[in-house]
Amino acid sequence: MKNTDTKILMNGKEFKVPPGGTLGVLALGSVGIRAWKRAKQEYMSKLKNKKNEEK
Amino acid sequence: MKKNKVLLIGWDAAEWKVIDDLIAKGLMPTMKKFLEQGVRGRIATLDPPLSPMLWTSIATGKRPQKHGILGFVEPDPKTEGIRPVSSKSRKVKALWNIFSQSDIKSNIIGWWPSNPVEPIKGAMVSNFYQQERKNKKTVDVDKWDMPEGTVHPEKWIGPLKDLRVHPLEITGNLIMPFIPRAAELKKKDDEAFTTIVRYLAHAASIHAASTELMLNEEWDFTAVYHDAIDHFSHAFMKYHPPKLEYIDQERYDMLKDAVTGAYRFHDMMLERLLNIVDDNTTVIICSDHGFHSDHLRPRMLPDVPSGPAIEHSPYGIFAIKGPGIKKNDSIYGSSILDIAPTVLSLFDLPIGKDMDGKALVNIYEESENKKIKYIDSWENVNGESCELSDDVKDDPIAEMAALEQLIDLGYIERPESNSVDYRDKVVRENKYYLAKSYACAGAYPQALEILEEIIIPETPDYRWVVESVNACIKIKDYKKGQSYLNMVKDKNLVSTSYLNVLDSKIELALNNPNKAIELLNKALEDFSDSAEINIELAKVFLSLRRFSNAEKIFNHVLKIDDTNAYAHHGLGLVYLRQNKLEEAIECFLESISLIYHYPYAHFHLGEALVLLGEYKSAESAFEQVVLMRPNIKKTYRWLHDIQDMLGNKQKKQAYKKILDKIIEGNFTVITGLPSKKLEELLQQLFKDEIISKNYSDKIISGYNFDFAGNFSSKNSIIFAPLSYLGSMPVTYDYKIIYIDETVENASQYINSKTNKLKKGFDIETNNILQKQQDDANLWINQQPDLDLYYLSSDKKINNIKKLII
Repeated sequence: MKNTDTKILMNGKEFKVPPGGTLGVLALGSVGIRAWKRAKQEYMSKLKNKKNEEK
Repeated sequence: MKKNKVLLIGWDAAEWKVIDDLIAKGLMPTMKKFLEQGVRGRIATLDPPLSPMLWTSIATGKRPQKHGILGFVEPDPKTEGIRPVSSKSRKVKALWNIFSQSDIKSNIIGWWPSNPVEPIKGAMVSNFYQQERKNKKTVDVDKWDMPEGTVHPEKWIGPLKDLRVHPLEITGNLIMPFIPRAAELKKKDDEAFTTIVRYLAHAASIHAASTELMLNEEWDFTAVYHDAIDHFSHAFMKYHPPKLEYIDQERYDMLKDAVTGAYRFHDMMLERLLNIVDDNTTVIICSDHGFHSDHLRPRMLPDVPSGPAIEHSPYGIFAIKGPGIKKNDSIYGSSILDIAPTVLSLFDLPIGKDMDGKALVNIYEESENKKIKYIDSWENVNGESCELSDDVKDDPIAEMAALEQLIDLGYIERPESNSVDYRDKVVRENKYYLAKSYACAGAYPQALEILEEIIIPETPDYRWVVESVNACIKIKDYKKGQSYLNMVKDKNLVSTSYLNVLDSKIELALNNPNKAIELLNKALEDFSDSAEINIELAKVFLSLRRFSNAEKIFNHVLKIDDTNAYAHHGLGLVYLRQNKLEEAIECFLESISLIYHYPYAHFHLGEALVLLGEYKSAESAFEQVVLMRPNIKKTYRWLHDIQDMLGNKQKKQAYKKILDKIIEGNFTVITGLPSKKLEELLQQLFKDEIISKNYSDKIISGYNFDFAGNFSSKNSIIFAPLSYLGSMPVTYDYKIIYIDETVENASQYINSKTNKLKKGFDIETNNILQKQQDDANLWINQQPDLDLYYLSSDKKINNIKKLII
């Protein structure tokens, strides 16, 4: 697994961080934590939008 | 040109036994590779093995009595209460202060204790950074402030605040590697669950801050401290395989992977850190102490402050790799005090002579060419060391959160309502730790002085009184030792069995071995399988040369636990003293394989090898002793004598120089129970002018000669009755020629000389001689530097003369 400031790359492709996180992502340090927090945020806002749409 | 950098990674309580097992199973691949590329070793901890004291010793190279961090908490000078130990209490410069003065930039993350942060050259994140509690409660993620004094410089406060991971953010799939069946736990109520989420979050926060600073801050030195392995080990080591018989099977099945998970996560974090650094970076991984992970895991924890520390083992881990460092190699005899001097040597900076550790030069590929520089003390070096000023503000809320964590972990008691009393209790407890630190450094008088100050005679703490008894024995103040022992007895401070063990130590020190045997046997009535008591007893028998008794007991211990290195060593001594050299060597090697850092096992191995004529191997064994315990004089004499056999003139000369420095003079002492052989030998030696006095008439005449006067001339040969051995000055080096004779023959000899024979068997003389022989054997056994030759009375006088001359 490699990384840049904004993306986590695995075998040259962007690794999609699951909103629940993984130990591997935590072990990447600041880059992983940022990506995970962003993934969580995106997931939550999607969930919120979905709920709003359902209403 | 790229600069040399150093990355120091601290893993609290990391233990080689666990790591080696996981490497063998392929579960720590990064650590495996790391060790192949560098040097590893076991690192001796200090006593007491309490982490804030130890990590400060690692950062300063100094013992607690010098650096001033004593325990987990300390009195708060601004209130009547207490506070967690803080960076403000450190009395000496840490590596980062020395580096600030030397224009070397540091990143320091999570070091214990490092709150409030110091304004160093570089960046610092304190050990309060990851704390999520406020007023005893866990705060919500969105209300999670960062205490003042946590991050330096200010520009990093915002970015690092956002990188923290809150325990409430830890999800189920993050817990699974630690507890695969976590879903079955009643989450909120289960301590196992809260421990994992809390310390995994802390580790992730510290790791995030470390990587962020390493990637974005210019640095020469980075030091990062993780406490998760210690917390996971205290919570879950009892469930770690192999299963302990008293552990509930269901709980074992649920929690057996937790410790493994913690180590694997650290291996993953290590991989990331190694990916960030370049080839010019030297990386050190160390722990402050180990953690019992096998049959030595204690079943119960003592109900005293710092009780959980009983789970700590005395050797931590040390591993290093980098440019100029040996590959796939090992070092021996290192201590946590050696880390700071070694780091200074990596930057080619001088080591303070007031530091208690040494630079580990054996790590270097060209260790013989490595030049180590010294200065008297870094404390006297002027320049901006960036230490804290006195007016730095405290953050009582953050301090309370840290205190709560220490209470949870069992390291401190919950404060009582009367804070003045509690503060007094803390002061006394910290002074006890200070006394232990002095004792650990061999400064027993200072230790005793502090213990005398803190013991309250009406309500004495048993640990303090027991420590006093041991200190009294060390300084040979047996009268005082006895009075403390009486205090233990009167107040019923310890069990009768433990009391008997303590009592036996005093009796042994007073040269009453038979009384000591009686007491140890009494103690064994309750604890027949206690390795400690059995070994004490076997050692007494060994010193009395009652080999079959000693052998039986050492074997009994090994039957219960065949990994007891002390019992293997003792058994080896039993064989060595009986000239069964190959059996002895086998036992010493077994002992060393179990505990490498065991100087006396190496020493006796060396002796056995010399007697077998294996001089080269013996030299290696004695060289290890020098590394581990450089103050055993006799080691240098062996090394000196071995060079003759190996034909190394230069080395012989070097050892001669050392011997000349440390020994005031040499005496050959002829001794033994009164006997015809001894009389003839002394007469012959006088006739041949080898000795200057005719001692032969002193053998049984009450020894009323000027014994002390014998030592006025150096390098001479003297006679000393057996009962005088214990009175010989300690500043000289002795070769003892012991003419061995049975008590019965000696008694007959005396009777023949004094015409008592007609009166028949003299039981009184027999008893006196037996006691003299026992006392002498005991004294001989207590002297590490003695060069001893037991010669049977049938040996020819000319052969004995050769040995003397």
